[in-house]
Amino acid sequence: MSLSRTHPRWVPYFFIAPFALVFGIFMFYPLVDSLFMSTYQSFGPQHRTFVGFENFVHVFRDADFRTALKNTSVYTLASVTVQLPLALGLALLLNRPGIKGKALFRLIFFSPSLVGLVFVAILFGLLLGSRDGLVNEALRAVIPGFPSEFFWLQRYVMGSLILASLWMYTGFNMVYFLAALQSVNQDTLEAASIDGANAVQRFTHVVLPEIKPVAGFVVLLSILGSLQLFELPWILFDGAGPEKRGLTLVMYLYQNGFEQNDLGYASAIGWVLAILLMFIAVLHRKLTREED
Amino acid sequence: MQTPVEPPAQSVTNHISHPQNQINETMHTLSLSPGSWTILALAGFSSIALLFYKDPPAEGLEFWLFSKHHESMYRQTIVGEADPVVSPVVISFQALERRLLSGFLSDTPVPDVVEVEIAMAARFFSGPLEAIGFLDLRERIEAEGLDRRINPPAFSPWSREGRIFGLPHDMHPVLLGYRADIVEAAGIDVTEIETWDDFVRLFSPLMRDFTGDGVMDRYLLDVWETDAFAVEILLLQAGGGFFDTAGRPVLQSEINARVLATLVTWTTGDTRIGANVPRFDAGGNRQRLEGFVICHLLPDWYAGGLQREVPGLAGKLKLMPLPAWERGGNRTSAIGGTMISIPARASDPDAAWEFAKKLYLDKDIAREMYQESLIVSPVMDHWEDAVYDEPVPFYSGQPVGRLYLEVAPAIPPRAPSPFLTIARESVIDALIRTRREAMNRSLVTVEAILPVARRELGVAQRHIEGKMSRNRFLQPPGETP
Amino acid sequence: MHSTRLLKPLSLCIAYALLLLAAAVTLVPFVWLVFASLRAPEVYFEFQFVPRIRSVQLVEANPRPDLAELWQTLQPARGLRLEEAREKLGAENVDRGLTEGMASLKSGAVDWTYLTGDYFKILLTQPEFSFVRNILNSVFYASVTAVFATLFAAMGGYALAKFDFRLRGAFTRLVLLALILPGALLLAPGYQLLFRLGLLDTYAGLILPGLAPAFGVFLFRQTMLNSVPMELMEAARMDGCGEIRLFFAVILPLVRPMIGAFLLIMFLGAWNNFIGPQIVLQTPSKFPLSVAIAQLKGVYSTDYGLLMAGTLISIAPIMALFLLLQKEFISGLTSGAVKG
Repeated sequence: MSLSRTHPRWVPYFFIAPFALVFGIFMFYPLVDSLFMSTYQSFGPQHRTFVGFENFVHVFRDADFRTALKNTSVYTLASVTVQLPLALGLALLLNRPGIKGKALFRLIFFSPSLVGLVFVAILFGLLLGSRDGLVNEALRAVIPGFPSEFFWLQRYVMGSLILASLWMYTGFNMVYFLAALQSVNQDTLEAASIDGANAVQRFTHVVLPEIKPVAGFVVLLSILGSLQLFELPWILFDGAGPEKRGLTLVMYLYQNGFEQNDLGYASAIGWVLAILLMFIAVLHRKLTREED
Repeated sequence: MQTPVEPPAQSVTNHISHPQNQINETMHTLSLSPGSWTILALAGFSSIALLFYKDPPAEGLEFWLFSKHHESMYRQTIVGEADPVVSPVVISFQALERRLLSGFLSDTPVPDVVEVEIAMAARFFSGPLEAIGFLDLRERIEAEGLDRRINPPAFSPWSREGRIFGLPHDMHPVLLGYRADIVEAAGIDVTEIETWDDFVRLFSPLMRDFTGDGVMDRYLLDVWETDAFAVEILLLQAGGGFFDTAGRPVLQSEINARVLATLVTWTTGDTRIGANVPRFDAGGNRQRLEGFVICHLLPDWYAGGLQREVPGLAGKLKLMPLPAWERGGNRTSAIGGTMISIPARASDPDAAWEFAKKLYLDKDIAREMYQESLIVSPVMDHWEDAVYDEPVPFYSGQPVGRLYLEVAPAIPPRAPSPFLTIARESVIDALIRTRREAMNRSLVTVEAILPVARRELGVAQRHIEGKMSRNRFLQPPGETP
Repeated sequence: MHSTRLLKPLSLCIAYALLLLAAAVTLVPFVWLVFASLRAPEVYFEFQFVPRIRSVQLVEANPRPDLAELWQTLQPARGLRLEEAREKLGAENVDRGLTEGMASLKSGAVDWTYLTGDYFKILLTQPEFSFVRNILNSVFYASVTAVFATLFAAMGGYALAKFDFRLRGAFTRLVLLALILPGALLLAPGYQLLFRLGLLDTYAGLILPGLAPAFGVFLFRQTMLNSVPMELMEAARMDGCGEIRLFFAVILPLVRPMIGAFLLIMFLGAWNNFIGPQIVLQTPSKFPLSVAIAQLKGVYSTDYGLLMAGTLISIAPIMALFLLLQKEFISGLTSGAVKG
């Protein structure tokens, strides 16, 4: 990596300044604030008692926190093992030579990322309706004997959440994969084909190594994003859902901080989550470094 | 390292081979794509356009409300008057709660007068009594005799430890709406129904399997195991509920257990009469229209809501008192609600009080509220108004207002608690667990399910006690930290 | 060789079929949305998608011998349009026949009379909705946020990618940290801060906190590490090009796709953000579209037609913008995906 050596001293400071200023005031300062806050039990910002590390100790004893952690982990796992392969599959299909209307397909698949969450809430109430929701009607048409009532939002909470996130985010991830696939060297592919490599071999030996950097990045983004899931289940179940099966870590943070007004405990949850995220980011870095 | 990026990667090689050319090409043009230019242009044009918009400065009393509907209803009263001048601001539910709370807790701006919904009110009543951000209106209310003019139970959601923090906008009594077209065609006389047992017995023949697939296509009641709205209505009606008047949790009660056990039978197996029919939801509304359920739990506001949302039901519904849990038991319940209140830091509490009274005691507004949304006024002076006796075509010509007012004195009191949301969720979770266990163990009668319901409510009770005891600011009254 | 030649078109067909299926699944909600914003209130919940002409069909034999009179009354309804039959034979008779299973409805062609543009007209023209002003606010808020956030992110990324200075390591780590911190942590302290700075109910209070996108700095840093050659910078400097001019005239054009991509990301984020504006802004005339739409969904009632029309109005410009920026968006995003 090469860095500029022949510039006046002020230059980097000048360019970083706007970001640093805004960041310092509107992000860093509140963050530090929240770090201090996590050692208090508070009732709103003005009433507080110092509790030391009690909040952090309580996090690990809190059954609701464990529920949230479990749900968030299951969702994250599903994102990586269901959504990303699906996104990659779509990208592979779209990247086939001979497919026409690529741009249109791409727009269609990406379009769910463009709508606001208010619409998504109403939409999935409709799609996942227990009796004549569109999803159940479709399943009934395909699977003989599918029950006349199937309670997605009431009983299959995680299932509904994963379905909703599939609709919302698969296209977004597909865009990444597609762009990576488009830069795969076509000559190498053709050479492999002439050498008698079949589709699976071509994919594992030529395509996969080439898209690895992007795939790694998408996996990381997907994990970090999934671990911070909040608004989708919040609007889908109007809260944590039956038996808290839609409770996520950030939702639990929000409930404690803004429904119970205990910003101290909320901050503690936030920092535990932050540490978890940092751990994953570091792990990811380690793993991808070793492979190189 | 590999670069999977095409355009930049190409340009890199370009530059490296002919850096000088490239510089000369790009130096004089800031080359951006049409799309980027579009956003830049939008930023420019919209900035200029906004310069020409002048916002009228807000003056007089600032009045926050969460309902656009209310605002248009009050508009005439507000606009017509010069004294006091009032600027209404409609803010969505969550934002109003957020901003008001922030105002109370940390001195950010508060309005002079505000409408507060019951779900958010509890949150403002939490913490030490003196930290509550609303003015205690008790003295004013008693001095002017309003406590005798307004239906007493209507104050309960807005009171804590003898203080009253607002004037009630409504009472929201609950009646049972039934499909008169279907019920009367079957020759059922609803006046014979006094209890839920009667209801199940008389109405059960109406459940139908039209398609012959062995699954019912018509159920009796819109209740479901996950339906907090219905569960709360039924618990309160039975005399159970979540908190006592001192704010202590009372989830684990025999009454609650019996309601839960009954609800399990209503949502399972051969005894099932309930159906999952979401409210304010396109799918749910269609199911009501199709007669998938024939009875609906209808507080006055939802009676109005159904009339507005599902015009196709016009002339098909009638209202009757809720069947009681036992003979002679309560025939109504209550759900939802709004108050008007004055923040303690309001600039002119006296003017705000006068305004609040004008709005909430006004006979014309009460009448309009009823005509618009079928909500009956808690102000007993107005109850004689003939408007409540007018036949409502949507409800088959019944005098809807009168029916609600007849049960209004019996609405159950509701104690506010900052833990209300948690309590509600815990009870629902207990119900779900009870139901699951009943199904696994093939328990089908209320008596067989009762022990399970008691145990699971005990779990819920301990859960909420655990949450409450952790909070050092919110010790139950009487036990100072 | 022979078999692959046959297989190729076949597998292409399968690929098309799968793509079309996925596209259909993705599009169904949008199709639903379009009809939901056009369907007339009288029949709103009677149809899932497009309103159809419904004609009355009588069953072969009367299933309810006890209701022979009703059966007779209903005879002329055969084949009539539902509305017509209700008018001629009495609505209560027809409805009763339907609930008693004597008659059923058959849906036919699209019923154009029940498609209406009224919801759009109401939103755009009635003064109580002031949607035009909301749209302008949204455009302003989203575009100004996008432009400045992109500029600041590009500048920050440039500094971190191309210069060696004392705080470089600290800033890089800070950016990475900010990437992974949950934003909800900032909601409460952020509001207090805006109040203390006197920025509540101002556009500045809404826009300023969004101008330090760590993700953007990260993306630009990654891109510039890989696609801005040092030789070019040195050459430009030798040519007498000033540092600021160097950035705008040489560096920025090199990361054109990333600029487009990030402008779009920020525009999209600001356009759909409704928690932020609702908390910061107090005056209704300053509310953006997202807030105005959220207000159509009431606590005690919802006007679906208006809500869906409002949603459609808010999606359309974003779609157009995505079409315009599609190419750059894709190449831009992936150029950030390279490790550095």
